[in-house]
Amino acid sequence: MKTPPETRDLAHRLLTYEAVAGKTSEPVESVALRVYEKLRESIGVFAGVASFQSLAFRALTQAKSEAPGLWAVQIAADGSLQGLGEFDPQLGEFEPQLGSYKDQTSEGGAVLVARILGLLLIFLGEALTFSLLRTAWPGAALDDLNSGHGRKA
Amino acid sequence: MSTQEKVTIHQLPTGVPGLDEIVGGGLPEFSFNIIAGAPGSGKTTLAHQFVFANATPERPALYFTVLGESAIKMLRYQQQYSFFDPAKLPDSIRFINLSQVVLEKDLGAVLEEITKEVEKANPAVVVVDSFRTMVRKPASDMDLQSFIQRLALFLASWQATTFLIGEYAEDELRDNPIFTVADGLFWLRQTAERNSIVRKLQIIKLRGQDSVPGLHTFRITDAGVQAFSRTFGLSGHVKNPPSHRRLSFGIPELDKMLDGGVREGDSVLIAGSSGTGKSVLATQFIAEGIRQGEPGIVAVFEERPQAYAERATSLGLDLETPQKDGKLEILYLRPLDLSVDETMHSILSAVQKIGAKRLVIDSLAGFEMALSPGFRADFRESLYRMIFALTGIGVTILSTVEVDESFTEFPFSTYSISFLTDDIIRLRYVSIDGQLRKIMVVIKMRGGNHAKDIREYEITSKGVVILGKRLANYQGLISGIPVRSDRPDSTEEPTLDTGIEHKT
Repeated sequence: MKTPPETRDLAHRLLTYEAVAGKTSEPVESVALRVYEKLRESIGVFAGVASFQSLAFRALTQAKSEAPGLWAVQIAADGSLQGLGEFDPQLGEFEPQLGSYKDQTSEGGAVLVARILGLLLIFLGEALTFSLLRTAWPGAALDDLNSGHGRKA
Repeated sequence: MSTQEKVTIHQLPTGVPGLDEIVGGGLPEFSFNIIAGAPGSGKTTLAHQFVFANATPERPALYFTVLGESAIKMLRYQQQYSFFDPAKLPDSIRFINLSQVVLEKDLGAVLEEITKEVEKANPAVVVVDSFRTMVRKPASDMDLQSFIQRLALFLASWQATTFLIGEYAEDELRDNPIFTVADGLFWLRQTAERNSIVRKLQIIKLRGQDSVPGLHTFRITDAGVQAFSRTFGLSGHVKNPPSHRRLSFGIPELDKMLDGGVREGDSVLIAGSSGTGKSVLATQFIAEGIRQGEPGIVAVFEERPQAYAERATSLGLDLETPQKDGKLEILYLRPLDLSVDETMHSILSAVQKIGAKRLVIDSLAGFEMALSPGFRADFRESLYRMIFALTGIGVTILSTVEVDESFTEFPFSTYSISFLTDDIIRLRYVSIDGQLRKIMVVIKMRGGNHAKDIREYEITSKGVVILGKRLANYQGLISGIPVRSDRPDSTEEPTLDTGIEHKT
């Protein structure tokens, strides 16, 4: 099952906010990593590392079916993400495919973030999920799932 | 020491309906409390209610979770309660998970982590859920005791009111040194009684103020924990002075038998077998009260309020309009596992809401059947508390009770509760001239000179109608099988039947 469009949109809003807040020259996958790290920190504080790790592992499993570019990504015991944006050495030999592969991993980061948000919405509901996101991104205007705001840096 | 020099201990609302009354007005500010009980007894919900009732952005609540229940799952379920306000997170209420510290380090590190967060947030409320799971490595009791002692000292200095939540079985509560540190010890338990689950709460200890002793029932509903004090929320309530006002039944002949009517604030028992018109009399009593501007409550257990009102309509009594006007409430109290305290809470709420002066309980047998089996054993004691509490605030109670018709005895109630009632009216069938007729007699009236007449009555389309004069031509009426005496009507007192046992 694909990520619902509104959850995907929320993920993109966070990624956009992070991209604007950070350096524009940064690769997309590092923006996704930053969003992921902020989620890891804020969820870890209230739910614990183990809870976040399980949540992230489930989200990654779901995301891999949607974004094959995440095939190399793993969740460490402390919940940190490993392998996002890494290239398969074998694929490195095929230069023409590289551009497509990079697109896949950057999209994969967005899918993974969307999947984590999706699980939070399922388990905690919209009100608590947004409360948590507002703690992690105090400057972002995050109203609800259907609002298109949140791009304020 | 003069009273001016004494420190004032402020009381905080517990956020749990009924619990403020039980703890003596509210929870002492800066107290260090332990909520103990078996899993599923409602400890976390109670703590959440306190947190949501007291946390503010200026003085937030820190809710530390340790091992055990996942914080995500806990919040998933807790937010279903109506008291849970998501808007309070994270400014007023912050959830912090300490499981990693517990898993990787020791209790000293846990204390350090709590200290760090408390210094940062300056909270008014701190909860550790569950502190018992922190002792996962083999450790002596002294480790946990020392940890709790240091935590209590630290949090009291930081002016935080604290709850530690712990899973404890009943036998662990005795002589546990950990509990000596606590200012308040709340014990929650749930027990299975036949097919029913009964939840009870006890304040084992609460420093600085009087709490209501004993086991109080509580229920967990969509609104969270709701406690029912054994004093029905009326502790400290000034008892109304005895009234000399008489309340009419709306049946002039019966009022005469009662020396002008039922004394206000009395408890009246109408006893009789099936079909003798107990409910009809009760309905007339409540309807007459409404007619005279006295709001009333009818607590029914055996039929639905609509059916009750429709039956009244067939007697020419309108109970629909006063319900719409807020002058009458018909309470249908028939959930499973009911406790007397919950019944009382419903009745008292209704009494206070409409300012009721008259209350009908129809019937005591239905009431008893609606109770959880465990409470039935205490039915008499519960009735005593209930009647005492309600009449104390000036409510006149009329209860109906069904008694088995007997030709060898004249029982007033199967509950041996007549000592709880001020007035008893007995209805019964008698066999006269080949007909099964009905008679009525006032057995007892505390503080009143009631008639001793045995009167025949009928139930008509206008309700109970008392016929003619007393039945002077018969002897042995209360046996149900009277004998015609061929005496003319006289004002002489009828002789008491011999061989009949009077049971109260």
